[in-house]
Amino acid sequence: MNPWTEKTESVEEWLGLLRSRQELMENVTYWHTQPAKPSRSVPMPERVHPKLAEALQQKGITQLYTHQAASFQAVADGHHVVTVTPTASGKTLCYNLPVIQKLLEDDSARALYLFPTKALAQDQVAELQELANLMEADIKTHTYDGDTPPTVRQAIRNAGHIVVTNPDMLHSAILPHHTKWVKLFENIRYIIIDELHAYRGVFGSHVANVIRRLKRICRFYGSEPQFLCASATIRNPQEHAERLIGEPVALVDDNGAPTGEKHLVFYNPPVVNKQLGIRRSSVLESQKLAAMLLKSGIQTIVFARSRVRVEILLTYLQENIKHELGKKSIRGYRGGYLPKLRREIERGLRNGEIRGVVSTNALELGIDIGQLQACVLNGYPGTIASTWQQSGRAGRRQGSSVTFLVASSNPLDQYLIQNPDYFLGRPPEEARIHPDNLLILLDHLKCAAYELPFEEGDVFGGEKLTDLLEFLAEEKVLHRVGSRWYWMEQAFPAHNISLRSAAQENFVIIDQTEGHRVIGEVDRFSAPTLIHEEAIYLHEGVQYQVEKLDYPEKKAYVREVNVDYFTDANLAVELKVLHVDLESTSGPLERQFGEVTVMAKPTIFKKIRLRTHENIGSGPIHLPEEILHTSGYWFSFSEEQSGKRSANDMQMALLGLANVLIHLAPLHLMCDPLDIRVVPQVKALHTKRPTIYFYDRYPGGIGLSQRLYEKHDELLEEAQRLIRGCGCLSGCPACVGPIEEVGLLGKDLALSLLQGMSERS
Amino acid sequence: MSGLRERLGRLRSSSAEAPTTDETTSSLDLSATPEIPNLSPEFIEIGVRLIDNESGQFLLRRVEYPFPYRHGRYDLADMLTCASHLHPIATRQNRQSPVDAIDPYRLLFLDTETTGLGVGTGNVPFMIGFGYYTETAFVVEQTLIRHPGEERAMLTYLLGHMKDKTHLVTYNGRTFDWPVLVNRFILNGWRQSGQEPGHLDFLHPSRALWRNTLPSCRLSMVEEARLGIQRGEDVPGSLAPALYFQYLADGNATHLHGVYTHNEKDILTLASLCVHFGFLLSGGIDLRSREGIEGEELFRTACWLEQHHNLEAAERLFVQLNEMEDIADSGGWSLALAARYKRAGQHERALPLWRRAAEKAESSSLPKLDAHIELAIYYEHRDKQPLTALIYAEKALELAYRRAKFISDAAKRKDEKETLQHRVTRLKNKVTRERK
Repeated sequence: MNPWTEKTESVEEWLGLLRSRQELMENVTYWHTQPAKPSRSVPMPERVHPKLAEALQQKGITQLYTHQAASFQAVADGHHVVTVTPTASGKTLCYNLPVIQKLLEDDSARALYLFPTKALAQDQVAELQELANLMEADIKTHTYDGDTPPTVRQAIRNAGHIVVTNPDMLHSAILPHHTKWVKLFENIRYIIIDELHAYRGVFGSHVANVIRRLKRICRFYGSEPQFLCASATIRNPQEHAERLIGEPVALVDDNGAPTGEKHLVFYNPPVVNKQLGIRRSSVLESQKLAAMLLKSGIQTIVFARSRVRVEILLTYLQENIKHELGKKSIRGYRGGYLPKLRREIERGLRNGEIRGVVSTNALELGIDIGQLQACVLNGYPGTIASTWQQSGRAGRRQGSSVTFLVASSNPLDQYLIQNPDYFLGRPPEEARIHPDNLLILLDHLKCAAYELPFEEGDVFGGEKLTDLLEFLAEEKVLHRVGSRWYWMEQAFPAHNISLRSAAQENFVIIDQTEGHRVIGEVDRFSAPTLIHEEAIYLHEGVQYQVEKLDYPEKKAYVREVNVDYFTDANLAVELKVLHVDLESTSGPLERQFGEVTVMAKPTIFKKIRLRTHENIGSGPIHLPEEILHTSGYWFSFSEEQSGKRSANDMQMALLGLANVLIHLAPLHLMCDPLDIRVVPQVKALHTKRPTIYFYDRYPGGIGLSQRLYEKHDELLEEAQRLIRGCGCLSGCPACVGPIEEVGLLGKDLALSLLQGMSERS
Repeated sequence: MSGLRERLGRLRSSSAEAPTTDETTSSLDLSATPEIPNLSPEFIEIGVRLIDNESGQFLLRRVEYPFPYRHGRYDLADMLTCASHLHPIATRQNRQSPVDAIDPYRLLFLDTETTGLGVGTGNVPFMIGFGYYTETAFVVEQTLIRHPGEERAMLTYLLGHMKDKTHLVTYNGRTFDWPVLVNRFILNGWRQSGQEPGHLDFLHPSRALWRNTLPSCRLSMVEEARLGIQRGEDVPGSLAPALYFQYLADGNATHLHGVYTHNEKDILTLASLCVHFGFLLSGGIDLRSREGIEGEELFRTACWLEQHHNLEAAERLFVQLNEMEDIADSGGWSLALAARYKRAGQHERALPLWRRAAEKAESSSLPKLDAHIELAIYYEHRDKQPLTALIYAEKALELAYRRAKFISDAAKRKDEKETLQHRVTRLKNKVTRERK
């Protein structure tokens, strides 16, 4: 270390310093080191067009990494391909190579590139154009999205060799107007789907249907393109790709790119109140580590889970290191920043002018920011896949890098930090989609019928097509003539269907203390309990009271207040089982999977005094009941098991267990934690027994609870391990929940219920 | 999963306009044939016939209008004499494929009724109406499909009629009717061979003339206000899709009677509009005799004639405008006309227009500054009278303050005043220097 500047020469040296600091090392629960890996490459294949080989040579590429060569070969063999490699491994060449090769051989050929966001599309076009310029080849690459000026659209439709767009644009602008794209669809050879892992859950289920429509249009124009997909590391890339495109896919996952040594450090903030199980704030600890790194001159990225946290961390950091580094060298990055600003930050990171960045998962996707040296994760990002993806932002091909995982106090974080083997010994999550969700399927069936009539014998998705078409005909959307169904409605169906519907459902919170200012968002399902009228809504530690909830317009108007209570709403959830699809009994435990109807209605809210927690008043909530048809999974306890417990004890035990399970569920699902819900019932209507229900929080279900049904045993085991391993005395937010919620015996009750189960089964 | 039909049924029961009966048995009946041989009396009573061709069946109604036939102000037969004058419009609208002359017998007047809006692939033209001239009559033909399966036969018939035609005469057909038809050709597996038809789309010329003088440029508005056509009871075009869906649902062709009439009238109006523009370009219309015609319309017409190389007629209108006493200037034509003279170096003709506009601005509560600024420029640089220029510039600045409170854009407001202030200062210096 340079004693004058406190700057270290390398990450290794810095880590040496860290190891010598006892007060920090006490909090390190695990230190994992991945050794450096040399590159494995093969000579440039002879088949590569000489022009292309020469251009690559000018870029310094004379050999291919093994995975690049393997995918080049797989494409040549006519397979659909998915390539899975970590960040910065030369992934784009895996698909650009065969595409450009084809375009050099055949000028009439066309390719379509799909990226989940516009920003990624623009990066890609720049790269392709650079290559085309080096080859002095006339390869026209264009983005086609909402920003494309109308004047050039026609030229792109007729003459663009490579059209780069996003699924939303494909869905609402290209497919419904496919007759304007005859040139593209008649000659389309390749369809590139990058960031495949981003297409999961509801969004992925929509996109899978858009691809069904795309394939249908291609068939109509007599073309049969190959799909070239690329994904970050997930457990089931091949299966996911196959479900998304509905075709068998060859997997290329032999990564030949070199990596430097990587350190993964698990860091648990120290406990400050053992009774309540409260740890020091993960935000403050993350900030401390990041500041140490930055002061030593190490380029660092900090990931936080919410936009608000990004802003808080950024403010702290800028303040903390203002003497060492200028304010401009630490930046924030998140959705909501304007594109121009984002480009500026990306550039600054690449050329090293910007030394630190605090970001949401917006930087998780493949935006080019070069490779940094250190990464601090403020809280577990939610999935193993995201964790690797974010930590991959640090790590150059040479030299060491370090990632800190700073645990927050929620049960999932605490489980992982105490069970590092679980994290390291386990492949990342599966990406799940459920393209045959009836509502999603019907939506896209309408769009597909608008694009081309359906004919008896056609296939679209896994459900019986004629039944669906008949249904739409009865709804007077389609008109049947003989063996064909025609679109027969005035509407343009794609306009009413958004691929990313979940985001639109949010309620915005408008502070009218001074003028009107949007301060935050609450998702639709939490709205009835969090922002009903008279609720106290907390935002960055400030109390606001909801004055008016405009339910149809999805707006809550709040005003800043200073009161000594918070509000707690009662939500009456009724759950009806409509149909049982799967069931299995093991010992006293019965579990089932099927279709459920969930009816949720907020009833009253209580005002609870801060600190003393006494009830100081209540009021009614007048909001409509939310009805959700979805799929669910549930398990119930036999009378024998519950018989010894009072109803109240059972209630507490179930509640505690439910709290743990809902936090652990995302371990098996690549989903937003809010996509799956849990309801414990002491005497369930369906089973007449104590039961815990899980359900997908999307109409029709998206396959999440089905996955949990399959993972049932593991899930309960993990729950037991978590509760046992928690250092608290009788329940805390990091396990069964705070004692205010589950009572003084909550932890023991939940544990004994679990033990009773495992002993008997 | 429970049965698909059961689940679909549940979806329906949660929607508001759900039918009460829950049909669960399959109503699939593959024996239903798309060919409906017999024509219902509701079709026959309005003269509809069933046509068979190599691509299938569709319905056709044909009406002849023997000459002379007057539709509104014009006789449709006048087209035969004035068609050649439409040549400049054709040239302007079809730069890729110029024609030597317009032959009235080779024009196809086209208007479609479709199931939706926009030019997406799911928008189906269920009725295609077209008209053409013969030596003795104007003929309107209307094709209709009883279901989408008959589309191919209808399109085949349409293509047959397009074969010897050079131009499609439409109202917004260039961006709507024709692209919708092209979609249908492609969906039927046909690719374009040979030349695209030329367009005579009268929406654009109508907008050029009446944008500022008519409340809208819809065909129904234009025909009533400028062609003297009274439609009386008419089914608005926007209702056509709903009426067609009703017909599809119950097979009762009475729903379509109004659509037939509406479409037929649209085609007759197209021909009438064509005559209007033909006469306009041939100089056969004396706009001066039109009662209540506004300066704005005269000016727009003159500009349009100029664009279409009819300089003589344009000049006559410009002269007339200069002499007009009443200048109710809704669209700002007098300034535009003055600007035109300025560009041509005819400042002496621009001056009186500017002066009148300036006078008017001074008495207005939301004044325009342009006339004063033009006058200031003229007197400073042309006439070399900086003092007069200063008077106009100062007046403009005064007006700018009066105007400021109506302009919401603060930057624009500031910019306007600063530019004027700068001009005033410069002129003051100039005047002082000259006095020395």
